[in-house]
Amino acid sequence: MSEIVLRVENLRTSFFTRRGEVKAVDGVSFYVRESETFGLVGESACGKSVTALSILRLLPEPAGRIIGGKVILEGINLLDISKKAMRAFRGKKVSMILQDPMTSLNPVYTIGDQIAESVRLHQGLPDNMVQPEVISALRLLRIPAPEMRLRDYPFQLSGGMRQRVVGAIAMSCHPRLLIADEPTTALDATIQAQYIALFQEVQKKTQVAIIFITHDFGVVGKMCHRVGVMYAGKIVETAPTRVLFQAPRHPYTIALINSVPRLDRKDERLYSIEGQPPSLMNLPPGCRFFPRCSVSETVCREQEPPEVKVGDEHLVSCWKVK
Amino acid sequence: MLSVVADTVTNPSPKTSGPPRKGRFFKNIWFFIPAIVLTLLVLTAIFAPLLAPYDPIKVSMREKLLPPFFMEGGTTKHLLGTDKLGRDILSRAIFGARISLSVSLIVIAITASIGTVLGISAGYLGGRTEAFLMRVTDVSMAFPGLLLAMLLSVSIGPGFWTVILALSILGWAPYARLIRGEALRVRGSDFVAQARVNGASPMRIMLKHVFPNVLNPLIVVMTLAVGFIILAEAAMSYLGIGVPPPEPSWGSMVADGRSEIDRAWWISLFPGIAIGLVVLSGNFLGDWIRDKLDPRLRQV
Amino acid sequence: MTEALLEARDLTKYYPVTKGLLQRTIGWVRAIDGVSFSVEQGKTLSLVGESGAGKTTTARAVLLLEKLTSGLLFFEGKDIYQFSPSQLKALYRPRVQAVQQNPWSSMNPRMRVRDIVGEPLAVNTKQTKKQIRDRVEQLLAQVGLRPDHAESYPHEFSGGQRQRIAVARALALNPSLVVLDEPVSALDVSIRAQIMNLLKDLQVQNNLSYLVIAHNLATVRYMAHTVAIMYLGQIVEYGQAEELFQQPLHPYTRALISASLLILPEDEEKGKQQIILTGEMPSPLNPPSGCRFHTRCAEAQEECSKVIPEIKVIGTHWVKCLHYN
Repeated sequence: MSEIVLRVENLRTSFFTRRGEVKAVDGVSFYVRESETFGLVGESACGKSVTALSILRLLPEPAGRIIGGKVILEGINLLDISKKAMRAFRGKKVSMILQDPMTSLNPVYTIGDQIAESVRLHQGLPDNMVQPEVISALRLLRIPAPEMRLRDYPFQLSGGMRQRVVGAIAMSCHPRLLIADEPTTALDATIQAQYIALFQEVQKKTQVAIIFITHDFGVVGKMCHRVGVMYAGKIVETAPTRVLFQAPRHPYTIALINSVPRLDRKDERLYSIEGQPPSLMNLPPGCRFFPRCSVSETVCREQEPPEVKVGDEHLVSCWKVK
Repeated sequence: MLSVVADTVTNPSPKTSGPPRKGRFFKNIWFFIPAIVLTLLVLTAIFAPLLAPYDPIKVSMREKLLPPFFMEGGTTKHLLGTDKLGRDILSRAIFGARISLSVSLIVIAITASIGTVLGISAGYLGGRTEAFLMRVTDVSMAFPGLLLAMLLSVSIGPGFWTVILALSILGWAPYARLIRGEALRVRGSDFVAQARVNGASPMRIMLKHVFPNVLNPLIVVMTLAVGFIILAEAAMSYLGIGVPPPEPSWGSMVADGRSEIDRAWWISLFPGIAIGLVVLSGNFLGDWIRDKLDPRLRQV
Repeated sequence: MTEALLEARDLTKYYPVTKGLLQRTIGWVRAIDGVSFSVEQGKTLSLVGESGAGKTTTARAVLLLEKLTSGLLFFEGKDIYQFSPSQLKALYRPRVQAVQQNPWSSMNPRMRVRDIVGEPLAVNTKQTKKQIRDRVEQLLAQVGLRPDHAESYPHEFSGGQRQRIAVARALALNPSLVVLDEPVSALDVSIRAQIMNLLKDLQVQNNLSYLVIAHNLATVRYMAHTVAIMYLGQIVEYGQAEELFQQPLHPYTRALISASLLILPEDEEKGKQQIILTGEMPSPLNPPSGCRFHTRCAEAQEECSKVIPEIKVIGTHWVKCLHYN
């Protein structure tokens, strides 16, 4: 097995609002290996994006604060180092792709300038070495005629191309870890398929470890090697993708997979999970999924379930799973 | 990025208790203080004859340029001193509230109403209505206001209503501009499309859907206008086309004091403080009203 | 065969592209270009396609939010473009309602749920306040909400609950046809099933017809009886959902299905290949000659760029592709 690039241990992040503490991430642990894509799947406000922002220490301050845990990249706990050291890490060792390619590019600079800025900032290359790096980044993301595209402004590119440019910026400094937060959500199905294929290719070439955040199970299946399913600030199940789809163990995962309509068969009626996720401000004392769970019993109401290993790299937090 | 937080915050469980007491107190302080200040000022204006220690226009050359009571040479007979004609500053400031407050309230009511009606019509109806209304607005904004005020003053004579007419006749244009932009935004929203699908008439859509959703910027501009109008009235008084002397207004008092500012600063300062108080209180109250009218902020 | 409730014939919408001070027209964006379909009583027709395919323009045309360049709309056999404004208000508008994609923007944030759901009644009927209130409570119950929810404002609800409110509003006038524009795509995965099931139940209970706009094929397969696949302003394949999904004919439909299928990384290593299209949808300002898909089609031949494909009926569905001539 390849080397572990990032290890997150018992990460806890809260937002302190006027109404009280919102426990957005409450004890999340996982790791990503070289050349591996780890999916973080969940619904809105389950804490998946906050996890990503916590790893990069980009939480909106002062409301958002990491209150515990470790984020270990290449033996260094990113939560211990200074802000300045963290800035050096960002972009160089870890980079991020956001959902909306429209807003993550600055409309007043050419795409060449925007990639060059990141290259200059993190690699300290002499000016004459920057251009080739920029072009090779564009080439890595298969942007046609990169020498010409350099001088384009973001508005001259289509949505799919723009998202590739964002990818090129993220990959321009050869990071070890790439965090992609819903990078395909804004794209059309056929463009999404192109983008995913492209990313698999980029990963093969660069061995980059990817944390892929999404709510879309279809994308998970295509893109991720292992998946963590998040619910109300916790990872409730971690498993290799195939295992997750074929033998999910946590009731939430099972319900979620059953509630997504399938294209390869006709569903007469979808399973639907009633109710809504709990407010992160008033979490139930026991299992967070308990109020919506169809197999719950008394213990689920009272105590939080421990994480149990049920197979190779397969962890589940549920009282009903032994 | 912040959407994560926003989501959790907008889905409070019913059990969530209100904000802590301290927070509630600090929230309402921005309502109570300005509300009390403005109420007092309005009461002052209404009951000016009862409150003022002297006749505001009574000249007494023997007592001219007396400083406020706490200064050397000041006297408790004239708490805030006197001006260069020996008129009592406190009394004039009390009576001045009448003209300054009524001019600004009436002008704001007129201009905001006209501007909102025209702005919503232009923004929602679009097409030729919009092109026509916006050209008229442009012309109004380009027209030299003082010139118009002078013309009016010459043709119908200076006075309270001339001032109001002069400030209103062009003053609606910025409102129309702003509200049109906001109405355009609301027109494109899904809920307006939905109302059209339901067959709602343009009038109904403008009243029920567009108007409530342009209130926020409208209130902000209205509260900012208070100070501007008080000062505009002062400028007009200064040029002799305002409410004619000796009737006092805060604006004209500030203007009067300008020539004496190095030796008798109190002539300008006290009415100036009054103007400042009104403007500040207006702004805070405006923010508060805006929040109260917005159901998304009301419950917090 | 059941009678068509709504029939659209050759709907076309061109937007002028203007330039300069004199607003000279320099070209036309062909948002939709000859779109025909019919929605049957109690059934669901789904328009599927990627952004820019023209599906939203089509829906807006049906809702009379968009004036067409040409084309005809028949409602219960009657040409609605011959209707007077008062006939439209009486015979068409109340019977064709809509649920929009984004439940966060489709409601006036300053109105209470009671007024939001009751608005169609207030506009179109002469019911008293009391009658409207009763009807609103009944509608809220139908979509799984409580009567006391009527007193709240939209921001107090979650996305799923808001979409239920939107459905209640659409049902207020007992419409025959409801246009659902991406009804679940803005919702969370676990909420989507709730809303889709609700929509299906309501369809059966009220014998509703749906015109569903969607980009997610799996959603369409679950919801629709008939499917129209759109590409660059035209329908390229049209037919019964089951047959269309099991035997897609058009290369674009096949690519779209392939892009939406659940494929695990291991499957790909075993050689289960996805069809990945090259390039992106061309601009509707200058649609490609011949078959509009030929610039991205892996199976394109020379004639595809020259000949405009005609409708070819195969089984219960039809396709516009030269391969089947």
